[in-house]
Amino acid sequence: MLLGSIFAILFYLATVIFLVGLGERILRYSRTPAPLVIPTTPAPTTRTGVCARIFREVVFFESLFKGSKWSWLFGWLFHFGMLVALMRHLRYFTEPVWSWVILIQWAGVYAGIAMFLGLAGLWLRRLMVDRIRYISAPSDHLMLALLLAIAGSGLAMKYGQHTDIVSVKAFALGLVRFDWQPLPSDGLLILHLSFVLVLMLIFPFSKLLHAPGVFFSPTRNMRDTPREHRHVAPWANDPPRSSSE
Amino acid sequence: MINLDRNSIAGLIALFLTLLSSTGTAVADVVTPEVPMGRGAQCVEPIEIMRRDHFEFIKHQRDQTVYHGIRGTRHSLAGCIDCHASKGTDGEFLPINAEGQFCQTCHTYAAVKIDCFTCHATVPD
Repeated sequence: MLLGSIFAILFYLATVIFLVGLGERILRYSRTPAPLVIPTTPAPTTRTGVCARIFREVVFFESLFKGSKWSWLFGWLFHFGMLVALMRHLRYFTEPVWSWVILIQWAGVYAGIAMFLGLAGLWLRRLMVDRIRYISAPSDHLMLALLLAIAGSGLAMKYGQHTDIVSVKAFALGLVRFDWQPLPSDGLLILHLSFVLVLMLIFPFSKLLHAPGVFFSPTRNMRDTPREHRHVAPWANDPPRSSSE
Repeated sequence: MINLDRNSIAGLIALFLTLLSSTGTAVADVVTPEVPMGRGAQCVEPIEIMRRDHFEFIKHQRDQTVYHGIRGTRHSLAGCIDCHASKGTDGEFLPINAEGQFCQTCHTYAAVKIDCFTCHATVPD
């Protein structure tokens, strides 16, 4: 029970930091002025068009596809593998398990493998393409290492050293229902959960913020209407008076 | 970086402590699967190992039997069913993969599909 309590406290702490940190960032992004009309053309001229563009960007990674096919392939494999793998994990947090979560259980395993391969490809690209390696900061490598460790430890539990998933589910339910339960002391499980804790803690302070950030990107979310409408940033309506007055 | 003033740090700590203190007051109790007791003194392997690896044992036994023709009985699925199938009120054995029975209880809880019984019998011989 000691192990379960330690991880419960850590998960609550990580959740608070993740949610508050992410909220603070999103608030800041929403308040950051976009003084110029700078959509990357050709750009839509209507709101509906902008919504469609952002949808394509978020779901299909459209501009990445146009920019770099290899990055797109590995990036898309990783992101959608992770999405389906995360949805598969809902079985630990729902009781009874939602029917659509039961239906995707088999797909989640392949999604985990896709996630691992995508990450491996992205890291190889960073290591082997000279100009990408040149501009890579330590955090770029560490972020890939962390996500690989999460996917790798998860797959290792699936295919190698199993854990007691019934107890793991009791622990997860205990977290969301405020009724703490013990956690099985299996090495891979402890590693897997610890890496996830680290991910939650650094998410609001890292490059992973591109997830909310893409929605606030002026080159994607603006309409191409500089001739139809004069674009005035909110703060420009009320210019500060010069100090000489 | 985020600029946190004293108030927001206090707020964060308060939020965290609220989460911690609400632990005693469960919004709903955690349910864990309750399986029918088996017959016999003990399982073929320790319980902690069976909970993690029972499928590996059964699958290994299958490979031994089907590919190599070795008919051991230690980890046979029929053995599982002999001890763990329960009888209904009419005195007949209930299928072990029926809702609430030995296999199905945990498999439903963890959303894991069982493939065994598309071929194998669900009650003892």
